[in-house]
Amino acid sequence: MGSISLNGIKKSFGETEVLKDINLDIKDGEFLILIGPSGCGKSTLMNLIAGLEDLTGGEIVIDGKDVSEESPKDRDIAMVFQSYALYPTMNVARNICFGLEMSKMPKEEQEVILKKVSTLLQIDHLLDRKPGQLSGGQRQRVAMGRALARSPKVFLFDEPLSNLDAKLRVEMRTEIKKLHKRIATTIVYVTHDQIEAMTLADRIAVLKDGELQQVGTPYEIYNDPVSHFVADFMGSPGMNFIECIVKDENLIIESGGQKYELSIPCKEAINNSKLDVVMLGIRPEMLTEIQPSAAKNAYIHQIKFDVDVLEPMGADTIAIGQWNDNEVMARLSPESGNIAGKGFDLQVDTSKAILFDPNSGLRIK
Amino acid sequence: MNNYKLSNFNFGRAFIYLILIFFALIYLAPLYVMFTTSLKDIEEIRSGNLMALPLDPTLYAWKKAWSSACTGSECQGLAPYFWNSVRIVVPAVIISTVVGAFNGYALAKWKFKGSELLFGALLFGCFIPFQVILLPMAKLLGELGLANTVTGLVLVHVIYGVAFTTLFFRNYYVGIPTELVKAAKLDGAGFLSIFRHIFIPLSTPIFVVTIIWQFTQIWNDFLFGVVYSGSGTQPITVALNNLVNTSVGGKEYNVDMAAAIIAAMPTLVVYVIAGKYFVKGLTAGAVKG
Repeated sequence: MGSISLNGIKKSFGETEVLKDINLDIKDGEFLILIGPSGCGKSTLMNLIAGLEDLTGGEIVIDGKDVSEESPKDRDIAMVFQSYALYPTMNVARNICFGLEMSKMPKEEQEVILKKVSTLLQIDHLLDRKPGQLSGGQRQRVAMGRALARSPKVFLFDEPLSNLDAKLRVEMRTEIKKLHKRIATTIVYVTHDQIEAMTLADRIAVLKDGELQQVGTPYEIYNDPVSHFVADFMGSPGMNFIECIVKDENLIIESGGQKYELSIPCKEAINNSKLDVVMLGIRPEMLTEIQPSAAKNAYIHQIKFDVDVLEPMGADTIAIGQWNDNEVMARLSPESGNIAGKGFDLQVDTSKAILFDPNSGLRIK
Repeated sequence: MNNYKLSNFNFGRAFIYLILIFFALIYLAPLYVMFTTSLKDIEEIRSGNLMALPLDPTLYAWKKAWSSACTGSECQGLAPYFWNSVRIVVPAVIISTVVGAFNGYALAKWKFKGSELLFGALLFGCFIPFQVILLPMAKLLGELGLANTVTGLVLVHVIYGVAFTTLFFRNYYVGIPTELVKAAKLDGAGFLSIFRHIFIPLSTPIFVVTIIWQFTQIWNDFLFGVVYSGSGTQPITVALNNLVNTSVGGKEYNVDMAAAIIAAMPTLVVYVIAGKYFVKGLTAGAVKG
């Protein structure tokens, strides 16, 4: 068991309010990702859950029990740190067993757990080494082993992959996901990497300036963001934002020296908002070369596009140009990328396009 | 290899070595004079050259300095005072180092309201001149019934040393990542077990630095020794002073020199044995996990 309720969490350091009234329920066995730009308070929130910092206001409930005043060791929580925080003078085996040793578990039982954990993480050949003799990926595994050994109610991961190189990061990401599948323990995971968030999470909580912006599944966060901030934060390359004049429920854009009227799904919202200018949000993958197989409907447009810069990424090529003097990225196939240039024929699918109020940055629905 | 060596020779480097050797000789010259003089007999000292090697080396002066030279009215040599110094230095070094380690650990990793202020106040203790505290300390020792005792001197050195040892340990522990403390807290370790299992094993360099520093300071102390000791509890520095100032007949330079070397020997030995740790400890960087 390991459900967590955060009720009205507040945290201030002196005059600075770091967290402002956070309310969040995390289900038992859930993989929840806290994401946000640096300084948004996500690590502080994690330290609060662990009990390493004192709350300024609100309460933390784990499995129906208010633990706000309890010390870290009584909360039955394990944490994996960004720097791994392995004990430098102890070997791997003792690092993993240190928590068990502190709880006065008999040696024989410690050995059993050590064997199980080290086999699971494939570090059984490293047990006699000191952390200084391990590579980054191995340290990462030991840090996870130390957390696993105590089989706690909740795991906290504080940007665990950010010190690894790109390839290893992808590998460990998969391992963490497999691990979660196997042990099915609640995980709260802090990151600022939106790909990690999308790939790992059951639910993502987006944090900005100490406030929760949105909590939802990766699909919801990606396709149905509540604000310009969330939409901008998730996705790589990021969503295109274009300020457009509204004309008869359609949006006017200028591309490749010509004017087009784009038809979009949320017509009612435009009418209700009574705005003359809205911000169109559309993901780069909806801007492609002409797809002959695409169903013909009102949301498929064909427009001319002047490509300024091409960025081949291997699997696809990002073409960068301008609409209404706003930078726009289109995601082309590598073959189309090779021939793209001035006046390229672009297919624009607005079926998933969303609109924002250009002043407040909030969604228009 | 020869080519390599030849090409590496240049006059700038040779010049630097010459200068270094020159200054090393200047600094070592007094030690040389002391050592050779201590091996000469008094006739040779009077008639011979100061820099000359002893013609007929003898340990007479060393024996006398150690066991029979007069320090004031007593004529037992330096031996009893040497052991006095040991009885003062050993407990004072151990206690001040242990207290400093605890203080430093608490001030670096368990911040509490006013901990920075407390650290500032302790730091201030490093800058208080000895002379300022002579009278109040004498009064305190009197009140405690520790005047003229070895225990009293130990107490004085502990109090005076804690400011330095705390500073050393605090600054060393600040460089140890706080995340280690957090991880250990989550593992269920408390204030003392974190100190014992995580910080102490990391502390060898700073222990060596602190012990050398404290040993040298306390062994070489003269002022506290002369003020707070009684006739039987004087440390070796005070006895050396008395020995040199007591003359029966002519001045025995050879005995004075031998006595001075005996008094300085322990700090030299400590530095030679642990000196490389001293330099290492002072420059030790952050601990990589």
